[in-house]
Amino acid sequence: MEILNRAVDFSDFPKIDLYVAAAVGVFLLVFPALPHSGFTMATMIQFLMFSVYGMGWNTIGGYGGQVDLGKAQYVGIGAYTTAVMMVRWDVPFWVSLPIGMALAVGWSFVIGYPLFRLKGHYFAIATIATSLVLKDVFESWSFIGAARGLKIPIKGEMPNFLYLQFRQDYYYYYIILAFFFIGLFYINWFRHSRIGYQLRSIKDNEDIARSLGIDAHWAKIRTYAVATAFVAAVGSFHACYNFNIEPEDVMGLDLSILIALMAMLGGAGSLFGPIIGAAILVPMKNYLGAWFGATAGLVGLDLIIYSFIIMLIAALEPRGIWGMITRLRTGRRN
Amino acid sequence: MSLLKVNELGITFGGLRANWDISFEVAEGELLGLIGPNGAGKSTLFNCISGFYAPTAGKIYFRGRDVTGFRPFEMARLGLARTFQVYVATGDLNVLEYVMVGSFMKTSSRLKAKAKAEGLLENMNLTGLAQERVANLPVAAQKRVVMAAALATDPELLLLDEVAAGLNPSEIDQMINVIRWVHSELKITVFLIEHVMELVMKLSHRVLALDSGLLIAEGEPAKIVLNPEVIKAYLGERYVAQHSGRGGERA
Repeated sequence: MEILNRAVDFSDFPKIDLYVAAAVGVFLLVFPALPHSGFTMATMIQFLMFSVYGMGWNTIGGYGGQVDLGKAQYVGIGAYTTAVMMVRWDVPFWVSLPIGMALAVGWSFVIGYPLFRLKGHYFAIATIATSLVLKDVFESWSFIGAARGLKIPIKGEMPNFLYLQFRQDYYYYYIILAFFFIGLFYINWFRHSRIGYQLRSIKDNEDIARSLGIDAHWAKIRTYAVATAFVAAVGSFHACYNFNIEPEDVMGLDLSILIALMAMLGGAGSLFGPIIGAAILVPMKNYLGAWFGATAGLVGLDLIIYSFIIMLIAALEPRGIWGMITRLRTGRRN
Repeated sequence: MSLLKVNELGITFGGLRANWDISFEVAEGELLGLIGPNGAGKSTLFNCISGFYAPTAGKIYFRGRDVTGFRPFEMARLGLARTFQVYVATGDLNVLEYVMVGSFMKTSSRLKAKAKAEGLLENMNLTGLAQERVANLPVAAQKRVVMAAALATDPELLLLDEVAAGLNPSEIDQMINVIRWVHSELKITVFLIEHVMELVMKLSHRVLALDSGLLIAEGEPAKIVLNPEVIKAYLGERYVAQHSGRGGERA
């Protein structure tokens, strides 16, 4: 019970934040009833997916300060587990979802154990490398469709809740919205849990953290596993939502960087940061990306913009938009 | 039985003997000082004892148990806490949260951790700063916060690495009172490195002196400052030669 109480305890936020958050929550719940285009709906679903990716990244990357640029490998494991099990053995989504998460978490221990011996940039580079290696493996593994990927066939009548196959997008919307709220409440619990505090102290000063009885290496591995479970769950969802997955889509470097970027732009190490980041970057990516690519013929310009944003965050406010908000508030007090 | 026993401890970095053949014991309830010129190997000794460095020779016993080569968090869980000479805060923890990290070593309950941290902050006159970010505090307050976090782990032995460095005289007095309180009220054995002699002389029961990685003297604070080996280590051989006559007269 105490766990549940803490998951819904937002008392350390100012009232105004809670009103805004409640308003956003209500908007998200009623959005499908409002007039919208199919493109807007797709953008909203992506926004929710990236919010959950970002929340996961935020545990190890934000609260723990370990910049992880290899989250796509776990998206891939989740997505491929669900797709392969559905295509080959007719296994429903709700069965393959926990299996995919478990496989990804298992792999995260294998990767995390040696990688967390590294620090700072070396860790970040190593996460990129492992992710790309796994992508190469998947691209040449014919059992799972190699580079062509997998296409999930239609299973009987729609709407099909077992296999997550729907004609209307709002079904997908509400399923990922449920993930979003579960994730949000989990992170709210996490940030005030023992492991949350320990991780923040590791970020602050690892030597002091170790002198306070914290096994820093193991704390990082455990949190990395939590982050992995988040992204793998969304990966499984992604497979069903898209019907079609390829290594390039679900395991590419772009995805890894976008996940980290959303959380960093919004505010690494804050509860709402990843959501704010996703709310800005996903629409920008979709609308600008579409416009640049189709109209202006400038494919790749969006990537330049991302890089520019990374530089801006690094130079101006490492704690992202949430950091700016906090600074404005405390600045007024002084 | 001694709380901590160090036996012929040595550590070398490349060709440098940072600690060599160091043996001593810390009794339960003692307040022990460690002095020595810069580069004598004092912090290195602390790092060996608290598990940050693995000694290349010798043994360390804590409560009679061989703990040589134990890792820092294992030493902390056995009851050895420490502070650091230099503290670099990069995170966004506030003072209360920082001390709670320490109390989380022994409990996973947030309420218990918080209650304990608040008690410590009150006793150390830090309650007013509870909601401040540690990184924004002045050095003196930061050192007290790190010390409070160390105390929150309920240690039996506390190693203090230059807690008075950079403090002004009134802050030094405050720190002396805090250490006295830790020692007499919390019943924690204290082993401290210090350059501020006022603090060492007022507090320690016994003082160890280190020079060039070797233990050169050991004794009561009043006697150790008259020890020719110690004077030589601080002031050089020539000074001792010039003043040895006068020292004799006074005796």
